[in-house]
Amino acid sequence: MSTTRTSAGDASGAGVVVRRRLLKRPPEGIRKARSLLTSIAVYQVISVAVPVFAILLTAVSGGFELGSFLAQAIPLAVAIAFQLAIAWLCIRIGRAFRTRRPQARYAGLALIAVLLVFGALNVWAATTGRLTDAVASGAGLTAFVWYLLGMPAGWHLLRGGRWFTGERESVAAAIVDRSSSQDLKPGVTPSGNGAEPLVTVEGLKKHFPILGGLLRRQLATIYAVDGVDFEIYPGEIFSLVGESGCGKTTLGRTLLQLIPPTSGRVVFDGSELADVDPDEMRPLRRRMQIIFQDPFGSLNPRMPVSDIIGEGLLAQGITSRRERDRKVEDALEIVGLRREYTRRYPHEFSGGQRQRIGIARALALNPDFVVCDEPVSALDVSIQSQILNLLLDLRRDLNLTYLFITHNLSVVQYFSDRVAVMYLGKIAELGGVEELYKNPRHPYTVALLSAIPNPNPRVRRKRLVLRGDVPSPAAPPTGCRFHTRCWLRERLGNPENCVTDDPPLREVAPGHQAACHWAEQVTSGAVAEAAAHVSALDTAVALEDE
Amino acid sequence: MTQTQVVAGVGLPPPPEVLLEVRNLKTYFHVMDGTVPAVDGVSFSLKRGETLGIVGESGSGKSVTALTIMRLLDIPPAEIVDGEVWFDGKELLSMPSEDMRHVRGNDVAMIFQEPLTSLNPVFTIGDQIAEQVATHRKVKRQEAWDRAIEALKLVGIPSPERRVKQYPYEMSGGMRQRVMIAMALSCEPKLLIADEPTTALDVTIQAQILELLKEIQDRTDSALLLITHDLGVVAEMVENVVVMYAGQIVEEGTADQVLVSPRAPYTMGLLSSIPSVHKRGDRLSVIKGVVPSPFNLPPACRFEPRCPYAWDLCRRQPPELIAAGGRGQRARCLLHTPAGDSRRAQAFDMRSEDAAPPADDGAPVGPPA
Repeated sequence: MSTTRTSAGDASGAGVVVRRRLLKRPPEGIRKARSLLTSIAVYQVISVAVPVFAILLTAVSGGFELGSFLAQAIPLAVAIAFQLAIAWLCIRIGRAFRTRRPQARYAGLALIAVLLVFGALNVWAATTGRLTDAVASGAGLTAFVWYLLGMPAGWHLLRGGRWFTGERESVAAAIVDRSSSQDLKPGVTPSGNGAEPLVTVEGLKKHFPILGGLLRRQLATIYAVDGVDFEIYPGEIFSLVGESGCGKTTLGRTLLQLIPPTSGRVVFDGSELADVDPDEMRPLRRRMQIIFQDPFGSLNPRMPVSDIIGEGLLAQGITSRRERDRKVEDALEIVGLRREYTRRYPHEFSGGQRQRIGIARALALNPDFVVCDEPVSALDVSIQSQILNLLLDLRRDLNLTYLFITHNLSVVQYFSDRVAVMYLGKIAELGGVEELYKNPRHPYTVALLSAIPNPNPRVRRKRLVLRGDVPSPAAPPTGCRFHTRCWLRERLGNPENCVTDDPPLREVAPGHQAACHWAEQVTSGAVAEAAAHVSALDTAVALEDE
Repeated sequence: MTQTQVVAGVGLPPPPEVLLEVRNLKTYFHVMDGTVPAVDGVSFSLKRGETLGIVGESGSGKSVTALTIMRLLDIPPAEIVDGEVWFDGKELLSMPSEDMRHVRGNDVAMIFQEPLTSLNPVFTIGDQIAEQVATHRKVKRQEAWDRAIEALKLVGIPSPERRVKQYPYEMSGGMRQRVMIAMALSCEPKLLIADEPTTALDVTIQAQILELLKEIQDRTDSALLLITHDLGVVAEMVENVVVMYAGQIVEEGTADQVLVSPRAPYTMGLLSSIPSVHKRGDRLSVIKGVVPSPFNLPPACRFEPRCPYAWDLCRRQPPELIAAGGRGQRARCLLHTPAGDSRRAQAFDMRSEDAAPPADDGAPVGPPA
C-alpha cells in the first residue's frame, strides 16, 4: 500500500518542499473588471464566426476566381486577426491585474479606451452607409457589446486604484507538497501541544438569505454558521457533532471555501483562504478534499470510476490519460478495491464499495486534510465498521488529518481525538473525546449523550429527554441558543442571563471549553435528578412555547 | 387491494394468549432477473401485550415480513409462497380482502419510517386521523374529529385543537412522527407494528419518540412489533428479539440473551462491529464481505462466506434454527449441532457473560482455508 503511494508521490515531484508566496485575492471591483474583460474576449471569439462565414460565402458564390476572392477575403482575414487580438489582450491584461503592478491598470484602461474609440468608429461607419447592411449590423452589435461591458470595466478599474498602489503584502502562505508534513511520525496523534495547527477557524459565519415575495426581496436570514472558532492540528481527527440543521455540513463546506463564508477567517497551513487569489486556490484545493455523505448521490451515474476519480486529477493538470489511469488504479488499491474496476459504473457497486470510491476520489490527489461529511451514516453497521477501519488505516499510512462530521455519537467516541458539539450554528462544547464524554459540561451535550441507545440491555438508566425541537436557525433564541430546551435552566429557577447574554465559549478545564453560563452546575447528581422529572408526554414542546 | 392468496392446508389456530403467530412465512419477489426470496421461512410468535423486535441490515427481509403480515404487498411481483399468519385467532393470508380491511388499521396498525412521505400533504392531520376512525367505527363526523383530538392528546402534542387543523408540512419531524403514532393508536389496535420509527429522526427526538412509545405501550397494553436496524433501540425497547439475515431468522431469544450472549456468528459479528468506547484505539472487528446477492445465495448456510467459524460442512448442510445458549434461545448455526461440538468451545468460550468484546486479532477474520 505504502509503496504505491510513494511512487505516486514521486511522479508529482514529492520530496522537494515547494514553498512560494501566494498572490492575494483582488477586491471585488477588480474581479468584476477582469470578468467583464473576459466576457469581451468570449464575445470576440464567438463573433469570429461572422467573417469566417463571409469568407466561405465569397469562396462558393458565383464561381471561384482567385483575384476577386483575395480582394474580399484579405480584409476579412484582417478583421479576424483583429478580433482574436482583442480577445487575447483582454485575457492577458485581466490576468495581469493579479500582479498588482500599476502598468496592468494603465494597460487595462488603455485597452478599454481603444475599444470605445473603435466602437464609435463602427457606429459612424455603419450609420453613414459605408458598410453593407449585414456588416453594418455586425459592427453595430460589436460596438454595443464593447460599450456595455467596457464602460463598467473601466469604471471598476478607475475606482479600484488602491489595489495597484496600496501596500503590497502578499498572503503569508505557501503551497507545499505533502512531504512537508512528513516530519510527523506515522500513527502518532499529536494532542496539539506546541504543534502548529493545520487549520484555524476564527469567527466563521455563513448566513443564507431567504429570498421571496415581490422582486425576490430578502425576507429573512438563516444563521447556518454563526461565529465558530477552533483549531485542527496535523494528524488529528477532529469531530463535529450535532443534530440535523445545526450547521455542521455548512461549516465543513465553508471551511473548504466550497461556499464562500459571510465573514470570518479560515487559515489553512498558514494561508488565509479568503484572501487567496482564485487562480491560486487550485493547488491548495488539492490538499483539502472532502468525502460526501451519500454514496448514491455523490457519484455521477453516467461516469465510469476512472472518470469519477480522474476528474480531480484532470482539474489539477494531469492531462495524460495513462498517468491519470495509473493514479486512479493506485487510489482504488489504497481503499481496498480491485485495480480492474476502473471501467465500471457506480451502479455496479454496493453502498460500501461506493463509499470507498468516494474516499478514493478524495485520496487520488494526495491531500493533507480531508473533510469527512457523514461518511458512514448511509451504511449498514457491518459495512460502517469496515469504512471506519479503512479511514483509520489511511490516516496512519498517509498522515491524514480529518474533520469528521457526524451525528452519530458512538462513532465519534470510538473514532476521534477531539470533538466539538454544535447547536444552532455555534459550538456548545469542545474538548478531548474522553474528557468530554466523561465530564460533559454543557447541558446540551449531557442530553445528547443520554439519548444514545445502548445496545447492552443490562445497562438500564433513566434517560434525560429534551423538550421540543431545535428552533429554526432563521430565528435563533436570544441569549443562549439552548435556553428554550435547557433542563438546567429550569432547575436553576430560570436565571435571567440565559435569555439576555450569549454565553462565550470558555475554558472549564484544560483543553475543555463550554458555552454555558452555568457549566459548573452540570454535575452527575443534577443530571440524575433532572432525568427523573421529565415525562415523555411533556417533551413535545420547548419551554417557552406556552 | 390485492388478490387473496388462499394458502392450502391451513393449520390449527394457536392458543388464545398468542396474539400473532407467523408460521414458515415465505414471500418471494418475481423480478426480471429472477426470483428474490425476500422472506424465506420465517416463524415467530407474539403474546398479547408483549414486545418483539426484528433486527437486521438492509435487505434482510424485515420490512417485507411486516408488509406481508399487513397484506400490503403488490401481488405480483410479490408472491406469498407458503406460510400462515395467525392474528387473534384468525388466519390473515387466507382472509378475503374485504375482511382484511377491517383488520388493517383497526386491529393491527403500522407506523412507518418516513413520516413526511407517509402522511398525505394535501389533507390536514385531523382529516387523516378522522378518516381512519370513520372507516373502522360507526361514528359521526364530529365524533371522529373529536377522537382525532383525543389521539393527538394521547401522544403529547400540545394544543391539539389547533394542531388538528394543520397540514403535515407545518410540523417538525418529531411532531409528524407523533402524528403517525396518534393515527395508529386512534382505533385502539391490539398490535402496533413500528417499521424503523426513529431512523429518520435526530437523537434527541429519537429519545422522545422511544420514551413515548414505551409509555403508550405500557398504558394501552397493546403488543408491539418493532422493526429496526439499531441494536441500541432494540435493547431499550423490547423483551424478545428476532435477528434476520438474508430472509431467514438466524437467532431468536430474549433481548438479554441475544444482545449479551449471542449464539449465532452473525449476531456476534454485528454486536462487535458497533463502535464504542472500550474499543477505542483498536480496529473495529468487522464482518468481512457484503450481504450476498439475493439471486445467488450460498447453497447451505447463507452466512457461511462471511463467517469466521465456517467449515466444510457449512457449505453442504443447511442449518436449522435450533436450541442454543439460554432457555428459549435458538440460533441457526451448525456449531450447535453435535457436528459442531469440537468447534463450539473455541467459538463461544471467549465471550463472557458480560458482553466483553471478543478478542480481536486486528485483521478482518477470514474463514479457515
